[in-house]
Amino acid sequence: MSQQTNTKKSGGIGRILSINGVGIFLVLLAMCIALTIAVGNKFLSASNIISVVRQFSFYGILAIGMCMVIITGGIDISVGSVFALSGVIACMGITKWGIPVWISVLMGLAAGALMGYINGACITWLKLPAMIATLGMQSIARGVAYTVTGGYPIGSLPDNFKFIGLGTIFGIPTPIILMVLLAALAIFFLNMTVVGRRIYAIGGNEEGARISGVNVNRIKRLVYALCGLTAAISGIAMAARLGVGQSTAGQGYEMDAIAATVIGGASLSGGSGSIIGAIIGAAIMGVLRNGLVLLDVSAYWQQTVIGIVIIAAVALDNLRHVQHK
Amino acid sequence: MKKIISLVLVALMVLMASAVAEGITIAVVPKSLDNAIFLDSQAAAEAKGEELGINIQWTGSPTSDAGMQVQVIEGLIEKQVDGILISCNDADALEDVINRAVEAGIVVGCFDSDSPNSNRAFYCGTDNYAVGKLAAEKMMEIIPEGGKVAILTGVLGAPNLEERIRGFKETVEGTNIEVMPVQTGNDDVQTSVDVVGQYTAANPDLAAWFFDGGWPYFADPDALPEVKAFMENGGHIISVDTCEPMMQYVGMDMVDLLIGQNYPAMGAIGVETLYKIITGAEVDLGDETHYIDTGFELVDKANYEEVWATKTPW
Repeated sequence: MSQQTNTKKSGGIGRILSINGVGIFLVLLAMCIALTIAVGNKFLSASNIISVVRQFSFYGILAIGMCMVIITGGIDISVGSVFALSGVIACMGITKWGIPVWISVLMGLAAGALMGYINGACITWLKLPAMIATLGMQSIARGVAYTVTGGYPIGSLPDNFKFIGLGTIFGIPTPIILMVLLAALAIFFLNMTVVGRRIYAIGGNEEGARISGVNVNRIKRLVYALCGLTAAISGIAMAARLGVGQSTAGQGYEMDAIAATVIGGASLSGGSGSIIGAIIGAAIMGVLRNGLVLLDVSAYWQQTVIGIVIIAAVALDNLRHVQHK
Repeated sequence: MKKIISLVLVALMVLMASAVAEGITIAVVPKSLDNAIFLDSQAAAEAKGEELGINIQWTGSPTSDAGMQVQVIEGLIEKQVDGILISCNDADALEDVINRAVEAGIVVGCFDSDSPNSNRAFYCGTDNYAVGKLAAEKMMEIIPEGGKVAILTGVLGAPNLEERIRGFKETVEGTNIEVMPVQTGNDDVQTSVDVVGQYTAANPDLAAWFFDGGWPYFADPDALPEVKAFMENGGHIISVDTCEPMMQYVGMDMVDLLIGQNYPAMGAIGVETLYKIITGAEVDLGDETHYIDTGFELVDKANYEEVWATKTPW
């Protein structure tokens, strides 16, 4: 059942917090309560909460774009590489090519959107499976990032660039504000615009959408371009947060973005998913990682625990969903 | 016309074959092409190759993966290079393909990370256990009163990192230092920065950190407010690696001591040793295990400016 269908039934708050979103939010809440009981103030301290939210905000931004792609029934495994290349381009623009900060940032963003658009073009024009097209782009973007940097990190970045990742507005770190703004925009786009509703329609029944006059290919290219753009925003924010652009950045982040989206209730077969759910999914991953650190769990066990909790979280939500039906 | 084309092609092939036969080619294979730590080895290997008049081929897998590294070596066997210098992602996984390369007449040496049970001719690099041991000894000097010490590592299971952890743990065993469960940053700068920040903030009684690689210090100092506060409040950090960007942290009192491996020496000595074996020249292969120790450097507040001046800016 698509989020669109859910929202039509529920309306109001339910329009934003779909049934899937509520279920997974309860899982997040339960994790937070369990951690509070286990480690108390260590988890609830303002500095720790800000650190956790800032940490997952980068994945959250990635998950916003990924969610739209998954709703169409596609997948984009190039976002980690696009994340790196966009950050590298922005940093090189500033430090190596002497371009003003804002133009360098725009170049990075444009590169991300372009790579996403190319993904969409390969899928719609060349009829490549999304997995193959984005696998190719994953390799291309990473290769270009290595080539332009020669493998060296790009540092010595100015403060006005670093503000994007390290700054605060009213005490809130900028990456968190970025994530919230982008999520609000994406929710509006998906739920309140014709194109947004068509994105759900394509994922639910592509052929049906095509017959009813939706330009499926054009919307798919747009969605992949938006996914590239969100990867670029996240990558540039990360380069600013660390004060260094790295060709190695973002490796494996695509899997975190996909996991966050699916934990958040999206179906890999398309047609369902919500931005709020994807952000909550990213939050679950962030809180989980933080919890394992605070609980002094050895790194050798952390991967195993993360895998178990991801499966348990989605399974619990699914069970709740089945009972609801 | 066909005859002329055939003759030109044959002539080209003969020329190419003679060119290959004349020049010695040594392939240098780091753990991955995405790890900037190997850039100093690459520069030194290429400089040594130019000095010796041989071809250096810098190649490897895009990421640290033993399976992909096996494929790279298989490709080099097909290409019939004369020598391979490799930093192994996994000692056991690379053993078979190294032996196959040796059977194919290729001289293989290891650098940085060894495959000791293979038929490689030598290993040049750091004694990683000794690095961990040294870090532990220095830690006991820095915090004679003892206390809780956390360890940050990279990818779990990497033999060199595990050896450093083992060296550290075994040396402090039975002392007043309590080693906390190992934390990982997965070789990722952001993850390392976040893990160190969160763990430090959550453990106010932490006395010190041992980073068995310098990942957090690849970030800008502004990205590490927790580390700065930790050091200002009497905490201590000893880190492995002495890359150029890390030097500033010594000057800013954000790390007590850096223990660096000699990556340029690994590249240069590795290539030169392979060249000598290939050409039949006399060669010193170190001890009975054919281990050539490239040593390590210590950097602290007293000498960091001097060492920094010798580093190639990143």
